[in-house]
Amino acid sequence: MNTINHRGVMLRKTLIATVVASVLLAACAAAPVKPDGAAEARNKLTQLQSDPNLASRAPLAMKDADTAVRLAEQPQADKDLAAYRVYLADRKVEIARAQAETSLAEDQRAALSAQRESARLDARTRQADVATREADAARLAAASSAQAAVSSEQAAENSRQQAAELQRQIDVLQAKPTDRGLVLTLGDVLFENGRADLKPGATGNLNKLVAFLNEYPDRNVAIEGFTDSVGSEDYNQGLSERRADSVKSYLTRQGVGAMRLSASGRGKSDPVASNDSAAGRQQNRRVEVIISNPPAASR
Amino acid sequence: MNATPPAHCGSRLRMAAGITGVLILAACASTPPAPTASLQAAQRAISNAERTDAGHYAPGELSEARTKLASADIAVKEQRMVMAEQFADESRVEAELASAKTADVKAKAVNDEMTHSNGTLIEEMQRNSGDKP
Repeated sequence: MNTINHRGVMLRKTLIATVVASVLLAACAAAPVKPDGAAEARNKLTQLQSDPNLASRAPLAMKDADTAVRLAEQPQADKDLAAYRVYLADRKVEIARAQAETSLAEDQRAALSAQRESARLDARTRQADVATREADAARLAAASSAQAAVSSEQAAENSRQQAAELQRQIDVLQAKPTDRGLVLTLGDVLFENGRADLKPGATGNLNKLVAFLNEYPDRNVAIEGFTDSVGSEDYNQGLSERRADSVKSYLTRQGVGAMRLSASGRGKSDPVASNDSAAGRQQNRRVEVIISNPPAASR
Repeated sequence: MNATPPAHCGSRLRMAAGITGVLILAACASTPPAPTASLQAAQRAISNAERTDAGHYAPGELSEARTKLASADIAVKEQRMVMAEQFADESRVEAELASAKTADVKAKAVNDEMTHSNGTLIEEMQRNSGDKP
């Protein structure tokens, strides 16, 4: 029994030794393991340090955080101390991040200020541009209305002059204004008795007419021949037509466009005086040149 | 001779008890002082955070800092000075974090406001220039 007992004691001792040894071994194996949470703190720090926008900012807080993380990573048997160090490391990394982000925001603010300034400047420039444009427009409008006033004055002056000139021309032609236009009466002195040819020296009044028509190219002319009551109707009609034609062709030869001229014979119709007297008949033998009024009364 | 071993045993026991007593006394005598500096630093950090309105911008961190400081005070009362110092330090960094986050949130809010008003300014300008090309 004693021997058995002794062996039993020996066995127990061996067992205890083994357990102690294995516990010690386990302790040895566990020792190099970093405290819980240290890896997370390191991870957060690495993320912060590899952010190109933040890495170089808040250098003091960064250094603090780095030191704290290193300390937290050291194996520590005292669990409370290990947890305390991990806690400090974690918060210091967060402080470093917050400070770095604040610094980044401050830098960005400078850019925002610049943007605001440039926007304000733009706005002012635009306002100035608009004001300048409006002023330019106003000046231009004033100038053009002044010019318009000048030119309308000039136009008025021109038309006054033109009216005066026309009146002078009309006076020269001794034409009478009527509803149909200006009527210029060419007496029978133009023609040989019974003939339709113009007398060579009797074209003075016709030349004044040519000058007038050249001056006023928008006026057309109706040429009408008249006779006295002596002779047959056919004869007088034919004679009045030939005389009107004769005047027309003279005017054409002087350069007045044929399109502007019409010629017709009115025979012994429409006498302007009595055919009973020689003087009356002489007045009735005539060619009337009716100068039309211009199409529009603008001139 | 037979009585000797028990006597010897008894004296060893007494000695052990004595040493233990001395150790306990020594432990009492060498009770570390309260971590006053750490506690004050934590209190200062909390006050600083409160001044920057961390209660509004980082309420979680500020409240955590206060809790840690309260824990430190309790540990001091329980004479657990090492723990008290750790709580105090944790309270201080938590309060510092509250301040840092507050500053960050404020800075970003200013930027957001500027971005918004710049956008409005630019938009308005474009509208104006659209009215008067």
